[in-house]
Amino acid sequence: MISTVKTGAPDKSIGQSDKKFRFDSLGLTLAFLALIVMFSLINPRFASYGNLLNVLTQTSTYVIVAMGMTLVITKGGIDLSVGSLMALVTCVAFGLIESGVHYVPALIIMFLLAMTLGALNGAIITFLAVPALIATLGTMVAFRGVALLHSAGKLYFGLPPEVVWLGQGAILGVPVPIYIAAIFILVTHWLFNLSRFGVHVRAVGGNREAARLAGIPVTRIEVAVYTYMGIAVALGGLIWMARIDGTQATLGTAMEIHIIAATIIGGTSLFGGRGSLYGTLIGALLLTMLNNALVIAGVEFFWQLVVVGVIVIAAVTINNIRENRIDWINQLRGRRAANRSKPG
Amino acid sequence: MGGHILEQNLTREASDAALLSARGLNKYYGGLRALRDVDLDIVRGEIIALVGDNGAGKSTLIKTLSGAIVPDGGDIVFDGSSVSFHKPTDAQDVGIETVHQSLGLVDELDVPQNVFLGRELTRKVLGAITVLDKATMRQRTHDLLQNFSIGLPTLNEPVRRLSGGQRQTIAISRLLLAEPQLLIMDEPMAALGVDEGSKVLALVERLREQGITTLIISHNLEHVFSIADRIAVMKNGAMIGVVKTSDVTREDIVSMITIGQA
Repeated sequence: MISTVKTGAPDKSIGQSDKKFRFDSLGLTLAFLALIVMFSLINPRFASYGNLLNVLTQTSTYVIVAMGMTLVITKGGIDLSVGSLMALVTCVAFGLIESGVHYVPALIIMFLLAMTLGALNGAIITFLAVPALIATLGTMVAFRGVALLHSAGKLYFGLPPEVVWLGQGAILGVPVPIYIAAIFILVTHWLFNLSRFGVHVRAVGGNREAARLAGIPVTRIEVAVYTYMGIAVALGGLIWMARIDGTQATLGTAMEIHIIAATIIGGTSLFGGRGSLYGTLIGALLLTMLNNALVIAGVEFFWQLVVVGVIVIAAVTINNIRENRIDWINQLRGRRAANRSKPG
Repeated sequence: MGGHILEQNLTREASDAALLSARGLNKYYGGLRALRDVDLDIVRGEIIALVGDNGAGKSTLIKTLSGAIVPDGGDIVFDGSSVSFHKPTDAQDVGIETVHQSLGLVDELDVPQNVFLGRELTRKVLGAITVLDKATMRQRTHDLLQNFSIGLPTLNEPVRRLSGGQRQTIAISRLLLAEPQLLIMDEPMAALGVDEGSKVLALVERLREQGITTLIISHNLEHVFSIADRIAVMKNGAMIGVVKTSDVTREDIVSMITIGQA
């Protein structure tokens, strides 16, 4: 056992992980489990093995893109262009395959294009000092425009069976997208939690100036994070188009709000510096389950949009209350504390 | 002021005895002359305090010594060799580390992550995958803090949950990791309570015992008189004088600061 630091309380914490994080993720996990129990009680069909695999498969695209979004938001950024980018790169890949290009080079081009356009987002933000919200709002519209121009309103379908297998195949009874998502989560976990890169992403998001003074290549980190976001979008898009064996230029409309919701529900701070991949995974599962339950209950799709919108605002509000960011609540708390300390 | 040759001799003599010798530093901001032919010698192993009113040029001077700004004229000799700094890492490379008033901490990161920020240790697993060596960084942070008798309740909390004094000691200890020869501190006790301020003072004194030279800016003459070996006084961008703390009273220093006469 390590001896204690000289003054102050004994340092029992050496070797332990962040307790606050454990508590946060515990609360989220409990909410998640409670929701599963609730949905199962309401509708026994929900808890069936088949439906749960279905939920996981449905979540795979979202969770992959949300992994990238966790890095982006932890870096202090945001990316509204993910849905448009996914539409664009899947349309391009489909177009290439349709015109006779072998699917391997077509998919490689799809990934390279997504990485390049992701890096473009990062470059606009870091080199032109355009706020991430505006930069990616711009590219969101622009990417969608290019996708529409490229496809000319066409509905693509008919992928080679090898590609379709990535979305519809199964290994040992478990759908392939679940394996792909699991591998991507592991790689992102290494990058975000176990490598220097992850610490630097948190540092840039938490205190850009301090990161710069510590010799961290801030601009390179920013471009890299958005490039990784591009990889996530391409991989998520690959699974999506393989699952439905098709794509169109309107694919992924309003996807960004689902992705941002999953990330924020998971406890990643919009103010940067703090993010949790585990939280994002649970957040994405929560949202898909909710949608799934609403579908089973026969609720119209448009109501799901309403629910997701409300959830995003509620999640940020809860986080703000916990971090004392709301002035009038702080004042109420201060007044109450003052009353308590008054004599008599 | 003496002739040119005499001045050069003075420079050479001073650099032999001094860890750092600055000669004729000038800095202009537009029409404003922020530094006027400033000379300063810092003796190895001492704590030297830099005092003066707001706008006296203290911050500009330490920024030139830490590489944050490039002076418009003058020479700096450090550890016997002539140096010129164009960026903070140039100064760090020769052994000058600076604690800025902003501290340079990342609130969301824990203590070892802040201490090792930008120079994280890694190890290999399975012979190929590079991962952060969290255990070693935690242990070395613990040892470093213990070596300088810095007490912290925990290493695992994000540093935003720690007090001002604790954050200050972390900001200092992360510089000690680089084993600097000269430590520059900009108002380290500002915005700290009396108790925490005195803890930081005690830390600076322990650093002297371990042979670290310190240049410290402070507004608090009580602090200055309690730890500094020498006091350098600036006014309107000029160096008024450098005196031994034991030779002067507080009134002397106050009149140097306000009237500008030694």
